[in-house]
Amino acid sequence: MAFPLYAGVYLQHTATIILTYLCLALSWDMLVRTGQISFGVAGFFGIGAYSAALTALNLKLDPLLSIAVGGLAAMAAALVLGLTTLQLRGMYFAITTLALTEIFRVIVRNLPGLTGGPEGTVLPSAIFDGDPTKTYWLLLAIALVTIAISEAFQRTRVYFAITSIRHDEMVARSSGLDIFKYAVFVFAVTSAIQGIVGASFAQQYAFVSPEGTFDIDFTLLPIAMCLLGGMHSTLGPIIGALVLGSVAEYLKLQLPYGHLLVYGAVITLVILLMPQGVAGKMKEQFVREQ
Amino acid sequence: MSALPRSRRYQIAVPLALFIVVLAWWHPYAVIEGVQRAGLYAAIALPMALILGIVGIVNLAHGDFLMLGAYLAYWFAVHTQGDPLVAILPAALGLFLLGAVVYRATIKHVIGSSELSQLLLTFGLAIVLQQTATLLWTSQPVSINTEYTSTSATIGSLTFGTYGFVYVAAAVIEFAGLTFFLQRTRLGQAASASGQNPVGARIVGINVDRVYLIVFSISLALAGAVGVLFLTRHAVFPLVGGGLTFKSFCLAAMAGLGNLRGILWCSLILGLAESLVSTSKEYAGWADLIFFVAIVAVILVQSHRRQVT
Amino acid sequence: MTGKRMRAVCVGCILLAALISACAPAAAPGTPPATPTVGTTPAAAAQPAAAVKKPIKLGAVIPLGDITGAQSAKAMKLAVKEINAKGGVLGRPLELIVVDDEMKPDKGAAALDKLATVDKVDVFIGGMASGVLLGQAPTLKKYAKVTVWTGAASSKCEEAIGADADWFFHIHPWDYNQGASYEEGWTAITKRYPQIKVENQFWAYEEGAFGAGTFKASQDLYNQWAKIQGQSFKSAAVGGGDYRAVLRQAKEAKPDVFIWVGYEPDAMGFVQQAKEIGFAPPIFLGSPPGWPVAFGKSPLSEAVWLYGMWAPAIKEVSDVSKGFLDAYVKEYGEEPATYFSPLGYANVYIVAEAIRRAGTIDKPALITALEKTEYKSPTGDVVTFTPSKIIKHQGIKKQKILQYQHGQQQVIWPFEVATAKPAYPFPSWEGR
Repeated sequence: MAFPLYAGVYLQHTATIILTYLCLALSWDMLVRTGQISFGVAGFFGIGAYSAALTALNLKLDPLLSIAVGGLAAMAAALVLGLTTLQLRGMYFAITTLALTEIFRVIVRNLPGLTGGPEGTVLPSAIFDGDPTKTYWLLLAIALVTIAISEAFQRTRVYFAITSIRHDEMVARSSGLDIFKYAVFVFAVTSAIQGIVGASFAQQYAFVSPEGTFDIDFTLLPIAMCLLGGMHSTLGPIIGALVLGSVAEYLKLQLPYGHLLVYGAVITLVILLMPQGVAGKMKEQFVREQ
Repeated sequence: MSALPRSRRYQIAVPLALFIVVLAWWHPYAVIEGVQRAGLYAAIALPMALILGIVGIVNLAHGDFLMLGAYLAYWFAVHTQGDPLVAILPAALGLFLLGAVVYRATIKHVIGSSELSQLLLTFGLAIVLQQTATLLWTSQPVSINTEYTSTSATIGSLTFGTYGFVYVAAAVIEFAGLTFFLQRTRLGQAASASGQNPVGARIVGINVDRVYLIVFSISLALAGAVGVLFLTRHAVFPLVGGGLTFKSFCLAAMAGLGNLRGILWCSLILGLAESLVSTSKEYAGWADLIFFVAIVAVILVQSHRRQVT
Repeated sequence: MTGKRMRAVCVGCILLAALISACAPAAAPGTPPATPTVGTTPAAAAQPAAAVKKPIKLGAVIPLGDITGAQSAKAMKLAVKEINAKGGVLGRPLELIVVDDEMKPDKGAAALDKLATVDKVDVFIGGMASGVLLGQAPTLKKYAKVTVWTGAASSKCEEAIGADADWFFHIHPWDYNQGASYEEGWTAITKRYPQIKVENQFWAYEEGAFGAGTFKASQDLYNQWAKIQGQSFKSAAVGGGDYRAVLRQAKEAKPDVFIWVGYEPDAMGFVQQAKEIGFAPPIFLGSPPGWPVAFGKSPLSEAVWLYGMWAPAIKEVSDVSKGFLDAYVKEYGEEPATYFSPLGYANVYIVAEAIRRAGTIDKPALITALEKTEYKSPTGDVVTFTPSKIIKHQGIKKQKILQYQHGQQQVIWPFEVATAKPAYPFPSWEGR
């Protein structure tokens, strides 16, 4: 993991971007494991980013502290929203989170006094004075914590119960486990991770704006990475983020025009050829070989 | 495709009618333009709701297929110096065939997979379509001006555009045609049955795969035709579809997945609400908020009523 | 179960490490960069000496998926090709390395890292969107390389770059430069044509950073000389497209000038819907970054005013502009559709001429040489660098006021490069 340190600034930067998406993808997958699909990643990312930028700017908070504030803000928002919306199932919950992202964006855009309005807000300097190595370590630390949380979640009693009953709601209801409470908890924790990642993004690039910070890509790309790598595991989203993140960057350099076309084709083909994701495919191979 | 019980229908229709009357007296333009806007939303969202209701797939490339139909019409109008509306049939036919190919090559293989893989597949298709369009036609928008696009009528002191009602007509025709198709034709009945219970449909001898193929193609054909109508009044560019998919998806969710009639109601509510907010000088920037707050509110209320599961 | 999962995670970590280290050799110095490079040694035949010498590297970060960026890149390549055909600069050829920023701040910043550390370019050029430059600002400051930037109008960017950045040269006018320039322009126009009135203005601006920022910058400036009111709308570029509410408000205000600030997809909708509701103010003006294909061919475009930096018609009054346009059409078989192509072309020439004057690519000398820039640009301006509100080196400060006449964009002001007289007032929509 220390390799990028010797690989030069550009690869460090690319790795930092990949780690950013890795955290988003993994946190999204954690919620999926409770049976809920969120389209609100960009929303919590944005809340974290704005909270961090505004507290750092107005309250002169230390950048690292402001990142923690960003996580807390996203967590608080998720708690409130989770309690009211997590009873919804399937697409209904998904669409609600998508709508909430847009609601956050409209609110931020229309409160120029607080948020800088449509033009956004600029921070005087980037975190660590723009030192790419330190920024890389920061994201790596966040990613490792995210991986640890993901692994921890997979060891809880509730998780085992949910996994065994993922396809059978009736059992879930009769098992006596409070899945709703657990889902709210997971929603809050994963949103906090997304908020922290958003906050680091804001600190790294030293600005926030409604268009850039609430970009729907922060929702879509992590989902694509999870599906590509394989869902319901820690390994899948990691592989997905690494593969898709590096493929995107590599293609861009090789094919300045049309690289996104190939990118789209790759996504389509992988879904068709490896419906279980890369991790699922590997596991399958592994089992077969044994 | 569950229709609401009669009493529930009145619960929605009566307050809505009252609201419209009051609004028409207070802000006549908001009603006229709101209804036109609603027509456009519904015309775009109906084909997506059709796929969602029967094939059970959220087609994230919906707006991009519409974009393709619009570019076809543009190409047609430029090369023949003709009216773009003439291209409705060729565009519908072209997209129908494309739909069949896309279904066979991709969608067919994810029927029965998790809804997320289906989502990602269509997401991939959307990127491919957008980027192909960018390579072929660049990001510079195209638009076509025809004389009839900006026709207007005057009633008393009101001067308003009339062409926008084309979208209302399109939505109504689409809705009526689809309802007829699903309820009165053998194929449509088979489609409804497959939508409600694919396993059961298979047991009674329906070729579900073929039904899906046809429904998918019909939806794309409709998207293509609406795309032609869209071009007559809006600029078209490779990324135009994203926003349209997004709105259609929200509408479909608000209406209840696959509920075609619900699309009409929800479009009307959203169209009117948005128009009303945009007429206000101070709060025009909040118009988007209305759209999304309405969606969340409707979903939450519905869940309390029906216990959405 | 646990052991298996632990192993899985270890495999993941190893994969991460392996993937990244696998990339590393590609970045090692010596191996050819994967980026497309153009114009490395086209002068080989004519100037063998130039080809042997180490090229001077210009690194451009541009959104290639957008037509503004795509044409800017094309024009830059053209300029490099021309310069190399004449023997390059200081006897060395120019090499242009373009990296796509995909209109994303993080990608744009990473692209700068690649250009600086992998390609080891001598100068940063390029740029288009303000939102990308904002995210690139920390990286630009980190390298503090000589940077000559084409794009970005938002003065937020100026805030982000800061006053200390003596290495930053910005060609495109800031939003408030544009506002001030229009005031100057309209004052001159009303002086020469007293029948034209511009005091009462209604602005329709798209609700994002571009529209709202432009409106705000102008509002602060204009209260001195014009009565200005405004209303936001949702651009068709982001899913809007119904402008009737804002047009109706404008109609009620009975303005002398109606201005919309939005994007290309809004252009046709504005005239169509203005016709629909019967709104034909004396001056109908649009200010998007570019116009849709064949907008001029529509009868609705006649006498529509526009703000901009360049139009093909400038070739009639400027030799540099004619030279650029002819060369571009010859090279690519099409006319450029956005002003970002002449700006990209100017970007390369400004850098090349400064290096020539400095006689070196050393930073202090190059900055001094750039400060003495007096470049006749294909946009019809003479580019010099003077301080703006925050930064020390602001290039073009003047915009142009143009008008669609008979399907062509004609320059009305500045009068030195005017190609037509204004058509005033705006003819009614009847019969078109």
